[in-house]
Amino acid sequence: MKGGLLLKGEVLLKKCGVFLNRGGVLLKGVLLIVGLYLFLKFILPLFTAPLPANLIFLYLALTVAGIVIFATLSSESTEEFFGPIVRFLNGERQTGPMKIARLLVLVLFPLLVGWQTYTSTVPSDMPPAESRTIHPAPPGEFVGLSNPIPNTPENVMMGKGLFAAFCSPCHGANFDGKGPAARGFNPPPANFVDSGTIAQLQESYLFWRIKKGGVGLPIEGMPWKSAMPRWELELPDEWVWKIIMGEYDGAHQKPRTWE
Amino acid sequence: MRDVLRLSIYSLGVIGGAFFMTGLPVAQPTMAQESVAVRAPLVKEPLPAEDPTAAAWNTAPRAEFPLSPQVHWPTRIGEVTVKSVKARGLHDGKSLAVLLEYADPTEDPHDAAALEFMVGDKKAHFAHGQPMAQVEGGPVNIWYWKNASGKVLDMNAQGFGTLKVQAQQDVKGKGVYQNGTWKVVFSRALSTSDVEHDVQIEPGEFINVAFAIWDGKKLESGDLKEKGSEKAVSSWWYFRAEPAPDYSGYLYAALAVGLAVGFQFVVIRKLKKGRSA
Repeated sequence: MKGGLLLKGEVLLKKCGVFLNRGGVLLKGVLLIVGLYLFLKFILPLFTAPLPANLIFLYLALTVAGIVIFATLSSESTEEFFGPIVRFLNGERQTGPMKIARLLVLVLFPLLVGWQTYTSTVPSDMPPAESRTIHPAPPGEFVGLSNPIPNTPENVMMGKGLFAAFCSPCHGANFDGKGPAARGFNPPPANFVDSGTIAQLQESYLFWRIKKGGVGLPIEGMPWKSAMPRWELELPDEWVWKIIMGEYDGAHQKPRTWE
Repeated sequence: MRDVLRLSIYSLGVIGGAFFMTGLPVAQPTMAQESVAVRAPLVKEPLPAEDPTAAAWNTAPRAEFPLSPQVHWPTRIGEVTVKSVKARGLHDGKSLAVLLEYADPTEDPHDAAALEFMVGDKKAHFAHGQPMAQVEGGPVNIWYWKNASGKVLDMNAQGFGTLKVQAQQDVKGKGVYQNGTWKVVFSRALSTSDVEHDVQIEPGEFINVAFAIWDGKKLESGDLKEKGSEKAVSSWWYFRAEPAPDYSGYLYAALAVGLAVGFQFVVIRKLKKGRSA
């Protein structure tokens, strides 16, 4: 039973081989392009980021150019390559499905060109794309500062109390950015539990962001959109350092170190 | 030979399909919970500039924006009555009307609502255009409606404490309270001569807009529940007066179809000639 199945597979493979050989340069080229397209579009994204459509288009175009060059190296292969295309487009002595297929190609090709032209000329009605840098570089004076407050349980607890009073309305009692005042703000308040926020930053960076607030951001941080207050006007530095301590402890994160 | 031909046709179809698919625009995710922009369609009929309940508003797409208590600046507020605001817009090529709708359990003389826009090319902070440390900001134009006065004030600010009523008032408005909902309409000409103080609205261009709502209910203490900086706010979203429909895309497409048909015609004619020769 098993042998029979194997034999059948072998016969099928052989048939494919014969078919491929008979098909000549054109069929191989077409299969190569289809295979390459499927690989780039569906298989490659399993391992890496999906390729942009224009890059896929470029790869396919290069492959087509390569196949055409290869196929036109000799006059025999040229005939083998272009012959079927010429006969197909020519339409002489065609009957049944071939006739319909030719008609379809002749109708669909101009429509495809028209559709592509339309989509590329139609103006976009989407709002401008915004690429906001979430953690832009701090000014020089805020690089490399270390927390002057001793990390004692009392200080951490006081930091958490200050956090609850001043920060939790937006950043949330659970440090997750989901405070009761968060919902109307765009960008949303940072979620400190997420490994992409304070876990990636040094205490010095937080000191800058808390003191200078949203309006302290450089242009790539889009300061005009941020609701983060400029706390230096209301809180002493000592409180800010304690809040930082409380934040890390409450969110179960550690400041980033460079060692 | 026939098989080969058939297969190549199928393959050509597949390649055609593939090119077609790579060219397809990626579908934009629809915002289920919140909107990004207020889109004001261009209409031929007169604008319902004085009528917040007009049927014409139903033809305008409705955007909804969540609101936060104002916590950016003292005096802060911990909780606000109005949690979100719905916005619609209509324009006729000359003037613009914007409708805000929001739930408020009580009608009070001090109930108020405002729209905020950036003025000019400079970015302005959503909190009254307050100064930014590393970016030179511009002013904001605020359209402020209050129930007690029954009208809209056209104002400017560039930083806290700089709010100023303009000498030239260009904005009209009207509020109607029905079944626990405020409907407030604001209207103004798309462009004005005072480009230094007024937002200029160019159809087709996205501009920034922000919202603020005050519940002016009187508490037992005699204080108002929300007043001044104690209000419900949003940060910046987008507003666009939709441009007149542009049909040039169809024209270019028709031209492209014509060229493609011509190209096919020439190629096949040439092929047939080549065969018979």
